[in-house]
Amino acid sequence: MCPARIAAPGVIMKVPANMDWLVDIYNFRVVAQFAPDLVRGLVATIWISALALSIALVVGTLTAFARLETRAGDRIGATYVQVIRSTPLLVQIYLIYFALPELPLLGRRLDEFECGMLALGLNAGAYMSEIIRSGIEAVPRGQVEGAKSVGMSYVQRMRYVVLPQAISKVVPPLLGQTAILVKDSSLVSFIGVFELFSAGLAILSERLMPNEAFMTLAACYLFIYAILLFLATQAQRRLGGAQ
Amino acid sequence: MISAISSALPFLLDGLWMTFKISLATIFFGSLLGAMVGTVRASPLRSLSFVLGLYIHALRGTPFLIHLYAVYFMLPATGVAWLQFDAITASIIALSLYTSTYVAEVVRAALEAVPRGQVEAARSVGMSTLQTLRHVVVPQALKLMIPPMGGVYVIIIKGTSIVSVVGVSELVRAGEQAAQRDPSHMLVIYGLVALMYLAYCYPVLRIVRWLETRFGAGVTINI
Repeated sequence: MCPARIAAPGVIMKVPANMDWLVDIYNFRVVAQFAPDLVRGLVATIWISALALSIALVVGTLTAFARLETRAGDRIGATYVQVIRSTPLLVQIYLIYFALPELPLLGRRLDEFECGMLALGLNAGAYMSEIIRSGIEAVPRGQVEGAKSVGMSYVQRMRYVVLPQAISKVVPPLLGQTAILVKDSSLVSFIGVFELFSAGLAILSERLMPNEAFMTLAACYLFIYAILLFLATQAQRRLGGAQ
Repeated sequence: MISAISSALPFLLDGLWMTFKISLATIFFGSLLGAMVGTVRASPLRSLSFVLGLYIHALRGTPFLIHLYAVYFMLPATGVAWLQFDAITASIIALSLYTSTYVAEVVRAALEAVPRGQVEAARSVGMSTLQTLRHVVVPQALKLMIPPMGGVYVIIIKGTSIVSVVGVSELVRAGEQAAQRDPSHMLVIYGLVALMYLAYCYPVLRIVRWLETRFGAGVTINI
């Protein structure tokens, strides 16, 4: 992460003479000047990812159940998943941003942030619906039949038998998909949303310092990735799920 | 609308051709690099395999945009002459690095899925390590790799959309230019772009599903 220390105007941070070679490759004083922006960008990335994740979980769960329970739902859900999987996220973002008209309920068009969030959510939702669906399908048929035979209702079967088993299988891959979602959120900078990537790109465009820009960005994204990877392995170990 | 389609179509088809060329070059170089990384990862070379594990995590943990910009902006800034790439070369290099991490995981999983007894039997009839790989392990592993490699190919096709930022005139870039010329038909143009990606990716996904039913699911990796 980036140190949140800023050099006051006119004050040059002292660097030991034997560190000069490092400043040539990676000038951390410049990065320190951009630190407030980078922190705001990091927060924005986490915020848009969290909102997109909530959309994705809702859409993914609804799609998974629609596909498992009704024939028409399976048809529609399969089309949704195929279309999302066969087109690049960038095109989906552009389509939502440029093509979505004024919404009747809202009385205005969605702004850049909302479009980006929606596109990311719908994209991840398709992949997550596949994960959730295969998690539910992996619960042995006999479990459902056993629950039926002791007189459980549909809601009870789901609540007490199917979902507890499915969740342990589903959580680790969902965290992996979340890591992909965070990386993909860098693409919303294309439609002018301020987030981590656009904050880091400013170091390139204002100071022409590619090393400082991209090494810092890579470190910030790796930081988020490492946390999610840790959570995924922990979940796998605790829940004894997939694999 | 018909006229908007007919005037944009030639540009978009040029873009699709470029997308096609870049994705083909990438699957070739990415598979080559990925196969090497994956073979080492499956081998008993512990320390090398650990280093390559870091390589995979470093690429997996950062957005492709950063790889692309790193190859396009950071490497030329070193001043070394042969690291100055034009946009298309930089795109193919960055995409190949990105692809190699997926291919490496597919190759490693497939090599490890070949039963241990097969290797032991080959060794006990006097085959060398290379002979064992060549005649016993690889033929069995290849079959397991084919279905997941189709999925990797689709990831590449979708990944090529991002190289539009460094000015490669592939499908998305062609769509952006067509939309600038004719802003009132933006929806139609981006719709066409999406349809072209669909027409390219969907058959690949169908073939993958057919291969899975025909030869079994192969190895699965977390993509």
